[in-house]
Amino acid sequence: MTDYSAFGNLTIGQYLPYGSLVHHLDPRAKIVMFSLLVAGVTFASSFSASVLLLAALMGIVRLSRTPLRYALQGLRPALPWIAIFATLQLLFYQGQYGSDVCSTIWSWGFINITTCSIRQIGLMVLRLLEFMIVISLLTLTTTTAELTHGMDLLLSPLRRLRFPAHELSLIFAIALRFAPTLAGELERIMKAQASRGADFGEQGRLRFIQRTRNMLPLMVPLFLSALRRAEDLTLAMEARGYTGGKGRTSYVTLSAQPADYLALGTVCVFCAILFFLPLETLDTLIVATVSHNMQEVYSLIAH
Amino acid sequence: MIVVEDVHHTYDVDRAHPVTALKGINLHIEEGEYVVIIGRNGSGKSTLAKHFNALLIPTSGDVSIKGMNTKDPQHLTTIRHSVGMVFQVPDNQIIATVVEEDVAFGPENMGLPLQELRARVDEALTVVDMLDHRTRPPHMLSAGQKQRVVIAGAIAMRPACLVLDEATAMLDPRGRRDVLDTMQQLHAQGVTIIAITHFMREAVEGTRVIVMDQGNIAMDGPPQRIFSQADELRQLGLDLPQVTQLAERIHRRTPAFPTPLLSVEECVEELCRLPQSAVVSS
Repeated sequence: MTDYSAFGNLTIGQYLPYGSLVHHLDPRAKIVMFSLLVAGVTFASSFSASVLLLAALMGIVRLSRTPLRYALQGLRPALPWIAIFATLQLLFYQGQYGSDVCSTIWSWGFINITTCSIRQIGLMVLRLLEFMIVISLLTLTTTTAELTHGMDLLLSPLRRLRFPAHELSLIFAIALRFAPTLAGELERIMKAQASRGADFGEQGRLRFIQRTRNMLPLMVPLFLSALRRAEDLTLAMEARGYTGGKGRTSYVTLSAQPADYLALGTVCVFCAILFFLPLETLDTLIVATVSHNMQEVYSLIAH
Repeated sequence: MIVVEDVHHTYDVDRAHPVTALKGINLHIEEGEYVVIIGRNGSGKSTLAKHFNALLIPTSGDVSIKGMNTKDPQHLTTIRHSVGMVFQVPDNQIIATVVEEDVAFGPENMGLPLQELRARVDEALTVVDMLDHRTRPPHMLSAGQKQRVVIAGAIAMRPACLVLDEATAMLDPRGRRDVLDTMQQLHAQGVTIIAITHFMREAVEGTRVIVMDQGNIAMDGPPQRIFSQADELRQLGLDLPQVTQLAERIHRRTPAFPTPLLSVEECVEELCRLPQSAVVSS
């Protein structure tokens, strides 16, 4: 490995300061909106719903002015796994798809490829794509500071139920704050070990087992240093009079604008449409149309 | 301002081998002083410093800040608000992901209203000259800039006293100079400064030098007096500042040359004043 940068091609957690409409939304609104979209992606069980979602997400990507390439970059390391899962599903998926009857395309021994398995794979790939876009979009358009304040304020009503909202968001903030520091530390440890002859292997795609094994001697020094830093940080926080969330005021204030409510409303309506419209029937309808089964088309429309 | 009476401190990390870091310290620090504490590694400097804002409680004896005993948990927050602390590694003291939010951390803990928070952050960042970097993430700053952010975080609480525990150790000469200048500025405004350092050159900055050795105070006095006792200092494993050493050597050859001299400017001035004959003869 010639390149020791630890988080070189990680896009989740990167922020692109393009200052678009999406960037300027209230982080609270954004967190709720993107959670709704994640729920949408999770529960969309039909092809039509998935395609609609993808279209909507593409629209948001355009609005945010972030290059699509960035939003999709995080997908690259996951590609081999997607391929493996897709193959497994293709070969062994036996179930039914909705009310549809599966027709076998090819069968050999216990391997049974049906129209249903192909559809299932398509749905899975779409879903992963959408997850990636949703999560990347949130972090690409929102700074970590905004995210933590958004979380803090969203969870603050729960404080009355003794839920440690402030503490939780502080933990989150500190984790984010120290991510680049620890990445730099890891880089330093790797260089120090490499200079004494440690071999971190070539960046071969298929040598990931060996690469993982080579990471083990890095973990102990990294953890030790993280613990030492934690101890220092506790002292520094105590010295600055930190005694927990009680009686604390906040330097950062958020105020929701009409645009935030509008955006939130739009997403709510969109998700409701996905949820309540009979999109699975639409799926069947499209399949029937494509396969020229006019009789079924009429019966479905009449239905 | 700070009164330390017969303070002992024992670390109980390992019951079989307790480490006694402080062995009966007595100390008065008045308001507006600039105290520099020097001493070898393990002489108890840092342990003593952590007693000044109740991060450590004496095993026996008393520490009181403006009359408040650090043993009394009731006074804890008031003491922490009146004595600020800056430690060695700037990276490990920054909590927030944005410079200005980190500076606001202390005042937030004090429960100040928003208006006041903003005013204090502005003021503190102006003092350390970091106003231009207020919205940047701290990991993009240099070590010296980070340490100035940490100092801003401490002075935003408007402490009466600021304790620096080897705060310049990780900095390059430029960063160190910046921090020392900030300290002088704060001292001029009436803030009590207590600095712990390994650098003899920094010891000269103060109005009072305390030399620690094996958990005791070995020497205590104005820098002029401390640095005239070169032999005693060497016995304690410490050195003189470079300029002072030079002046001492010249003094040995030309007794007319005054010693101790603590700053380069002073030394140059005295060298110029030296009669030509003295220079030739030596």
